[in-house]
Amino acid sequence: MTRFIIIRLLQAFVALIGIAVMVFFLVRASGDPMSLLANPNMSPEQYSAIKERLGLDKSWSEQFLIYMKDISQGDLGESLVKERRVIDMIKESLPNTLRLIIPSFFIAMLLAFILGIMAATYRDSLWDNGVKFLAVLGQALPGFWVGIMAVLIFSVHLRWLPVAGMSTLANYVLPVGTMVFFILPGMMRLVRSSMLDVLDSEYIKMARIKGLPERLVIWKHALRNAVITPLTVAGIIFVMLITGTVITETIFNWPGMGRLLIEGTFARDFPVVQAITVVTAVFVLGINVLVDISYAYIDPQIRYQKT
Amino acid sequence: MLNITPTREVKLERKIYGLSRRARITRNLTLIIPVMILALMVIMAIFTNLSWLGLPNVGLAPHDPDSGVIRDRYLPPAFMEGGKSEYLLGTDRLGRDILSRIIYGARISLSISMIVIFITAFIGTVLGIIAGYAGGRIDGFIMRVTDIALSFPGILLALLLAVSIGPGYWTVVFALSIIGWAGYTRMVRGEAMRICQSDFVAQARVNGASAWRIMLKHIFPNVINSLIIMMTLSVGMIILMESTLSYMGIGVTAPTASWGSMVSDGRSELDRAWWISAFPGICIGLVVLAGNFLGDWLRDKLDPRLRQL
Repeated sequence: MTRFIIIRLLQAFVALIGIAVMVFFLVRASGDPMSLLANPNMSPEQYSAIKERLGLDKSWSEQFLIYMKDISQGDLGESLVKERRVIDMIKESLPNTLRLIIPSFFIAMLLAFILGIMAATYRDSLWDNGVKFLAVLGQALPGFWVGIMAVLIFSVHLRWLPVAGMSTLANYVLPVGTMVFFILPGMMRLVRSSMLDVLDSEYIKMARIKGLPERLVIWKHALRNAVITPLTVAGIIFVMLITGTVITETIFNWPGMGRLLIEGTFARDFPVVQAITVVTAVFVLGINVLVDISYAYIDPQIRYQKT
Repeated sequence: MLNITPTREVKLERKIYGLSRRARITRNLTLIIPVMILALMVIMAIFTNLSWLGLPNVGLAPHDPDSGVIRDRYLPPAFMEGGKSEYLLGTDRLGRDILSRIIYGARISLSISMIVIFITAFIGTVLGIIAGYAGGRIDGFIMRVTDIALSFPGILLALLLAVSIGPGYWTVVFALSIIGWAGYTRMVRGEAMRICQSDFVAQARVNGASAWRIMLKHIFPNVINSLIIMMTLSVGMIILMESTLSYMGIGVTAPTASWGSMVSDGRSELDRAWWISAFPGICIGLVVLAGNFLGDWLRDKLDPRLRQL
């Protein structure tokens, strides 16, 4: 098991370096990175000051070594537009993003489990068909459009909910709702299908033959085993949360990491985009390692298979 | 008490006598409707305007999508009060016809997704077959890279690309291709591994077929079914991602219409012109639905083994 964990951590580390290298070369894909960073009304002094500050006057190999050294020390550089350290900007916006992601995640999970289990238990009932319909629709409609239509209905026409801001609970309803819409359909399908698999198994038949009440069979015997599958895709859910938050924050002007990223993209503020990519990569890889380890812990076969 | 539900018996009957009449009709409908929607979209994209085929400047789009009549700005759809019949789905801030923009936008969305599907399927198939056939270290390496690509948020990569090479048609194609190949690789590799176990591959090896020959003549034809299913199923996903990217401003640049950017155009004008955002979104939803249904139908037909519950 220790061996497995070490190998996984090493692989994640290599992947992280790979991503950092990719970012380094992507900036240079457009030729001289200064062409991205400079704006036309800069004076020549400002231009060379930026060039020096970013170390672009040095050779490629030197730049690369300095870049890797900075990243390993947690130095993510400085925003070109805001003239601030990127790490401070991230520290400011990350809590706002978490305020959006965490409630959405729990609400979506809760709904996914309740709806998915009900659909699997009462298979082919009206309830099941309703859940399937919701899942199909949810996977077809673009999340950003649903968010905008929700604004149209609940804010513009009915005037029930505010469009922007984040001071009251009512401000959270639409953004969190949009996020839930992103995650729910996939999760629901997954819970439903893994629950169906479990319900079809021998030990559930055994529990039924034993005469256990259906309530116990479903909520105790089946649920425990059905939970494992959705938890192993935590990495995918995390990716969906990131995509969801970037889009939701742009719709609702939510001052989080996603909006920081988009603003950075359009201001061509490369250090910001680069830093967010690297920080997110750390999170994504970390979560994947955790998932792999916990999965290997549950299922011993994987420990030997994948190393 | 053992609970033998009637559905069990019905299912047995279906297995013996084939599908019931009603089930057959629904099943056919899940084929016909999606095919019709997709065909309509493709026709819309091809016959938007015939000038690109060297024919006169006429076509399906009733108006110029990129320049409007200022006098006719913010007109509601024709079925609403105040709408003009010449602008079926209304007009936007610059008096541009929404329907014409949707028709032109179909071209962008469909062509991007076609190109991306072929690029990703090609890369994924090549890598997947090599990984599945070679096994060992090569397989391990390819699959690790695949895992990383699958777990990395594609949207970040797309934004990075947008910063470094600038937004545009090919940026979207490039970004979606980098994101999409991994899914194919994983699927094809699984299939290839399974096929490698079979007798006919062993037979070919005994006969002295080269590795390339086995991969091309023995493994590849046997993954085509799964490949077609996956390509169809990914139409919807790619259209969704393409529209998301163009919604965020990474796609084709204004004034060229794409469905995603049209939704984004209407965002700030929801209080006076909801139709600018609403109709393109419905189009995206319809195409994605059609693609998913068609993919499901193909999967049931060609390879029921792949069916998820």
